[in-house]
This record gives sequence, structure tokens and C-alpha cells, in this order.
Amino acid sequence: MKRPSVPVTRQRARHLARALLAPAALGFAVSALAAATPPASSEQRLEQRVEDLAEQLDALKAELARLQAERALAPPASVAAAPAAAPVAAGTSAAGFEKLSLWGYGEAYLTHPTHVSGESQADLARAVFGIGYQFDDRTSFNSEYEIEHAVASSGDVGEMEVEQFFLDHQLTPWGSVRAGLFLMPFGLLNEHHEPTNFYGVQRNFVETLILPSTWREGGFEFNAHGVSGLSVSLGLTTGMNLAGWDYAPEFPPYRNALELENNGAAPLQASHQELSLANAQHPSGHLAINYTGLPGLKVGGALFSGNAVEVPSAPNAPPTGTMRVTLWEGHARWQMSGVDLSAVYAHGAIGNTAGSNLANPGSPNPIPSAFYGYYLQAAYADGLNLGRYRLAPFVRYEYYNLGSSYAGAAPAIPAGSVPLSATPGDYGLWPKGQDRVWTLGANFYVTPNVVLKLDYQTFDVNRDFTRFDLGLGLAF
Amino acid sequence: MGVSLDGICRSARLPARVALAAILAGCGGASGSREPPPLARTLSPLAAVGEFLFHDTALSVSGQQSCATCHDKAHAFAAADGAPVPLGGPLMNLPGFRNAPSLAYASFTPGFDVIDGAPTGGFFRDGRASSLARQARLPFVTPFEMANADAAAVLARLRARPYFGDLEAIYGADIQSDPDQALAAIGEAIAAYEREGPAFHPFSSKFDAFTAGTATLTPTELKGLALFNNPGKGNCTACHPSQRQEFADYALFTDFSFDTIGVPRNWAIAANAPVPRSPVDGSLLTYTPLEPTLPAGSAYAYYDLGPCGPFAPAASDPAARVDLAHLSTMCGAFKVPTLRNVALTAPYFHNGVFATLREVVRWYVTRDIAVNQGNNPDPQLNPYAPGGTFYLAADGSADALLYNDLPLAFDAAVNIGEVPYTPPAKDGGQSPTLTSDEIDALVAFLCTLTDGFDPDHPEAYALPAECTGRAAGSAFHAAIARAH
Repeated sequence: MKRPSVPVTRQRARHLARALLAPAALGFAVSALAAATPPASSEQRLEQRVEDLAEQLDALKAELARLQAERALAPPASVAAAPAAAPVAAGTSAAGFEKLSLWGYGEAYLTHPTHVSGESQADLARAVFGIGYQFDDRTSFNSEYEIEHAVASSGDVGEMEVEQFFLDHQLTPWGSVRAGLFLMPFGLLNEHHEPTNFYGVQRNFVETLILPSTWREGGFEFNAHGVSGLSVSLGLTTGMNLAGWDYAPEFPPYRNALELENNGAAPLQASHQELSLANAQHPSGHLAINYTGLPGLKVGGALFSGNAVEVPSAPNAPPTGTMRVTLWEGHARWQMSGVDLSAVYAHGAIGNTAGSNLANPGSPNPIPSAFYGYYLQAAYADGLNLGRYRLAPFVRYEYYNLGSSYAGAAPAIPAGSVPLSATPGDYGLWPKGQDRVWTLGANFYVTPNVVLKLDYQTFDVNRDFTRFDLGLGLAF
Repeated sequence: MGVSLDGICRSARLPARVALAAILAGCGGASGSREPPPLARTLSPLAAVGEFLFHDTALSVSGQQSCATCHDKAHAFAAADGAPVPLGGPLMNLPGFRNAPSLAYASFTPGFDVIDGAPTGGFFRDGRASSLARQARLPFVTPFEMANADAAAVLARLRARPYFGDLEAIYGADIQSDPDQALAAIGEAIAAYEREGPAFHPFSSKFDAFTAGTATLTPTELKGLALFNNPGKGNCTACHPSQRQEFADYALFTDFSFDTIGVPRNWAIAANAPVPRSPVDGSLLTYTPLEPTLPAGSAYAYYDLGPCGPFAPAASDPAARVDLAHLSTMCGAFKVPTLRNVALTAPYFHNGVFATLREVVRWYVTRDIAVNQGNNPDPQLNPYAPGGTFYLAADGSADALLYNDLPLAFDAAVNIGEVPYTPPAKDGGQSPTLTSDEIDALVAFLCTLTDGFDPDHPEAYALPAECTGRAAGSAFHAAIARAH
């Protein structure tokens, strides 16, 4: 598929498409109507979809031509000269509203550990609102604000977060720069974590525990998009902070699969800073390369490396030594004929952990020197035809290991029954940091933007984590 | 009922004041008032006066007691005599109520506060004083300690001291005539000495050398540290963090929280006896505070309930925490002490009920093995306690009461949710979280928290007998037996 001549960033693409696809709405409606008619042959459906796409492409071309014409007529915009108040002033006019974009997504779920039904939970996991603004044809702003777990107050576990807050500026038709708090271009999910974009009620473990989605850093990034489908991101950002590493968790940091995802127990979950008074002592660099030159194929990889803020040593002790965090991953996704195949491998390493670990023998949670995970996923995206609805079944196998090697001291995992909390009588096993997980489920799309999800997960090591999940997600 | 004197500093039993004065220097390292130690060059003028005050017995009514009497430098500023509570008063015959805590590292204690719902900090074992200075002034006017009637009596003695001019130079001439200001100045000077005096926080233990990379722990000590940290074994670090916290750049081995752990009643404390008498002369003690609000069914007339009483914050301390007498969840709670120098500070706990570290650890890891407070469905005799239990009645027999130093109504406040309070074993039943060998290793590690380790001369490291394997087997039971 021919890519647009003017490359756009992910967010911009989303907003631009939102604005430009309006003319294609009719085509989409026709498509939906067609889908609602009695079942046609798959060949007919395919033809209809091709037509729909062709109409949308025509609309994009037309709008692009209009924008290019406007730009040719207008004087070159100067970002530096733009007054800070311009967005507000513009927002009061009809033209200002055109430059403003709003979007959102969210997800709620019910999770039911089948072996420990008392730990079943229902949660409005996240409600996210996005605000974007197009300052000029080259400069745009995007931001997302997230409320986790429905209530964010001092007495609740919920949080209010700024998940993204960045500017993009187009330098050339093929290159742009980004600055602010932005998502790291790692894996398949981190930049595309809306619930309609992934299979399963919860995000996969590899891209939660090894790649700490939703992973964002503050800094700068240069993005280049080639006509051949090759794209490159090169960035300089804040990095990891190991100064607060918890060598002494008294209780297991998680007791079920949901807490495993949410409690920040994984190495990079525990050390990424989210630009919240982030220690900026050490800049980190990243490089991501993706290739999308063949229809339905995305393949790529990324590398992140930077010195972490170190575990503080005693005042009279020699410095701990540089603790470099290196994370790399490779990913591939192939969507063809309704089949959607994905694979991600991610590997992290932390250097110079021996001294700190040796000073904390007996800890159940030393700093690992390596951790990794991978998954293979197959889905049938076209799935069952249920009229206007779409049911996409999937299966995923994944393996994660939060500490595949340690320097200095291995974790001292308490054996047998241990208190899981300070509540008397609350006993259980200390979970292991690695597992093999099978997930079988389906996404049921009410519309392309609204999805109901159902899945069943089994855990090979931490067997009590086995669970049944039901979810609702939406994005607009 | 008689009370044994063997655990009490012997000099304190002598009725002759002269004899007391002669021997005090050897008891607890009290230096007396005659020859105050020279001013340390590193101390501020205020702290330098504080050093004099700390060692000056002339400010007590008895003329025989100073801070240093119960807070001996050679014992990490805890009592040197091994007694569960100190003696004081005008005739040095009045026993106190709590074991004298170590003052080493006390200056790192935060003021009392509730952090994340958990009471934290404050001074005295019950956190009732708002600052080190507020704490330091009170023994001067406590009847069973230095026993001055009031601040005016303290000032009268203070005026005659050779360093009074130094204090006056700092605070002005007003303290000549203002007893309250003078007493406040005393507290501030002593607090300054505790903050500035290097001996109060040398961070010179073998553990410090280990973390600094200038010494290695023996395999046994290292094993002990691992057990200390292991949440399924000792889990000591949960309240005594071996990692540094926000309070200091070094690990302090306390998080300054409060916990109700239900230690056994110590019948060697006079106040615990049905009829409290002086262990020195047998005279009836009339100053034992009685809690008027003890719950129904309490077995004894006197309990030390920590923040719930019997000692309330001083009215003169406006920044002190509120009176917690009616907060049952805090009844019997005491502030977690530092474990630095713990090998030097026997006996242990607020009531000094255990004489050795081994006894302490044995009790910790088997506390609930003979009872069921919701965490032990299969009670059995305690394998580490002679007679099957550490909880003894006044006559030395096994006490039927759980946590017998608490009224029954407050047993629910006892912490039963954390290791080492013996969770059920995997196969059901229950066993101590530490074996006997592991207890030895843990004690070996605790000994490495003793200050005074010189990496260049490790052979000169002076440790108490228990650390070198020469401790008596069951000092706890020996002491209890002597009490009867």
C-alpha cells in the first residue's frame, strides 16, 4: 500500500484520519449496511471492503491536496514566534475548534481467579481523555490524561496520570521531531494500547512486565519515515531509577495475575519514572526501526540503553558502580486474509547489581541482571460473521521471567505458607517470578470502537493465578 | 514477695550514700559530678554544656544520679547493670518502670506522627515527648529518677554548677530566675550533646564496614543477615530495616513504628508485683501509677500499656502527641528500638524480661506456638522454652493467660499477622521459623551491629560474651527463678 507522501506521527495520523475520513463516512455506512444484509460470500465481502478502502483513500487524497494547496498559499509558520496564547484564542473561533481534537478510551473488566474466587475483582481500570491541538500544519500537540481504578484520592489506590504530553514538529516531508512526555516505540502494544487494539481482557505479560507498558519517558525523539515503509525513531530521554528499589518486601508484591500486572513488581515497572519529578541525572537513548513495506506486515525492533540512578550505598562506601539498563526487543505482526499473527521477544539487562545485591542477602527481591519474555499469538480477526458484529477468537502463549539471572545474590523466596498481608490468617505461597501462560479468548466487536472481551488464562508455575476475564473496552 | 537484686547494679543496693558514690563510677560508667569529662572540641558550646549535664550527678536529689547513670557510653548509652529497670529517687531506692533504652542513634528519631496510618516516632518508649530536648528534661523532675520537686529545685542546683555560666552565656541572664527556661535549656543542651557527640552515632559497626566494603562477614554472620532479611524466616527487617530509610544515610535498624508484640510479664519489676516494694530496702512503693480505666477482667492492677498509659504526655510539652489512653489498638504498643549495638543493651524489651539475645529470638520465633490467636490451629508446647512456654505466672508456673503483660481485652491488639509469629507450616501444624542453628547465626549477625569495629584491627573488636559464645544458657529463666 502506498504510504502518504507526508509522513505523520501515530497520533497525528489518528487525528488527521479522524478529520479526513468524514467524507468517507458514507462509504463506511454503505459498508456497514452491506454487513447488515444477509450473509454474502466472503468474496463479496472482500470486494465491498476493498471498495470502502478505495473511497477512503480518495477522500484522504482530496483532503491532502486541499491542505497542500492551503499551505502553498499561506506564509511559512514560525513555531517559535507563535504566541503562547494562540491556542486559547483560536479555540474561541470555529477555526480554533477545527484545530482542537478530543478523543478517549477506557476499559473495565471482571477478573475471576478460578482457584481463589475470593480474589475476584471488577474494576474500571482506566478512563483516558485525550486533547490535541494543531498549531499549524507542521506543529501539533497531543496529550492524554488517565484516571486509573475509577477513584483517585488519597485514600484510594486510583491514580490520575498524565500519560502523554508532547509536541510534534514536522521538519521535512519525511522527518519530524517530538518533545515532551511520550510513549516509547517498543513492541506492538505500548504505543497502541487502546483496548480495541489488543486481544484479551488484559494486556499480555511480556509487554507489561518486560516492556513496562504504558511506558513513557520525557525527552526528545526524531522520527523518520521512508517511502519504502521503513521508519526510524531515535530518542534521548529520561531513564530508570533504581534508588528506591525495594529489597525488603515483607509480603509478596503480588498474589494473583492482576496484581502481578498492576503492582509494579517487575524490574522496569519498579524503576521507570513517568516524568514525575524524574531524576534526570542520566539520559537514556533509544533506537526503534520498523518496516511496514509489505501489506499486512509489520516487523521491527528497538533498543533502549542508559545508566539508571543507582541504589544508594552507605556514605562511607565506594560508589555502587554504573547500573546500565539495556532493553531490546523484536516484534512482528502479519495480518492477512483475516489471520492476525503476532510475536514479541523482549530482553532486559541491568549492570553492576552484584554489590548492591550482596549487601542485601536474604532479600526475596534482589535486582536481576537479566529478565526476558516472549509471546506468540494467533487470532482470526475476521472471525465469525454475526451480522454487523465481529467475533475474533485468539490464542496466545507467552513466557516471562522477571529474573533470569542475578549477580551477587539470588532471591531468597520464602518456602511454604507465608503471610500475604498483615491481616491475621491471610496465608499463601510466595509467587515465582517466571511462568508460562496460555490465553484463549475472543474479542467481540460491537463496532470497531467498542469491544467486549472474554478470555481464560492458565499459568504453569503459579497455578493459582489461572483466571477467567471479562472485559469491556472502547476508544473514540 | 521478695524481688531479686541480682540483676540490679549492686552498688545501688548499698544504703550508704558514700559507698554509692564510690562505686557508681564502676556501675554503668557513671562518671559522677566531680570530674566532668573535658569538653570535646567538636561540640558546639551548647552541646559542650550538654555533655557536662549528661554526666553531672549533682543535679539529682540523691547526688548520685545523672543521665549517664542509666545510659552508659560503654553500653551504647543503655544501662550497664543488666537490671530490668533502673533505681533512682532521693535515696536511690526507688525502681523505675521501664528498661532504660539505648540513647545511641536516638537523635535520628522523628517526632511522633502518623505516617500512612501508622504511629511513628516520638521520644520515650511510648513516644510521648515531642523532641529529644523535651524528653531529656523530664528525668530531672521525675520522683523515681533524679527526683527534683520541680524546675525551681533543678535551677537551685544548676546555679551552683561550674558550667552554669556557659549556659547563661548562651541563654542570657534570664535563666537565673526562670526555672522553666532553665529546665528547657538543660533539655536542649543534652539534646545537642546527643546530636553532636560522635559517640552517640559512630556508625562504626562491623556491619557498617561490611556495607562500606572494608570488611567481610563470616559465613555465619552472613547467614544471619540473610535470615534477618528473609520475610519467611526472621523477617526482622520488616520493623528493623537493614536498608537505609528516610531518617538517615545509614540503616538505623528501626522504622520507629509502634507494635504490640505481647512480651511476657517481667515479675522482676516491682510495679508488677501485687504489693510493690523497693528491691533495695523493702519499703512499700506508693508511686506506682494505676490505670483507672483498665478493662474489666484484667488480672492485675498494674500494666504498662505504652501509649495507653500509665504515662501521659507532659502538660508542659505542647507539641506532644495526644493522650492515647483510650485508643485500645495502641495499648501495649511500644516504639521499635534500633538494633544497633543491641548486643550491648541487655536486658531486652521495655520491661527487660529477656536477658540474652538468644532468648529474645527464641521467643520471637515461637511466640504463638503454644496458643491459637487465629494463626495457629494446632497449639503445642514451645520447644524453645523450658516448661513449654515463656509466659510465666508470678509463682513461676506456666501462666494460663495469653500475652500475660496485657489485659485480656487488649490481646486483640497483639500483632499476629507477620513473620516471625509462626505462620502455619506447609504440611499443617507449626514449627519455629528458625532452627536453633539459625538462631545462632542470627545472633551472630546482630553482634556485628556493635560499634567499634576497626577494619585495620579486626582482632580488637570487643564483643559481649553472648557474641563470643560464652553466654549462659537460659538467663531468662534463671532470673525468673531468682525472683522467687
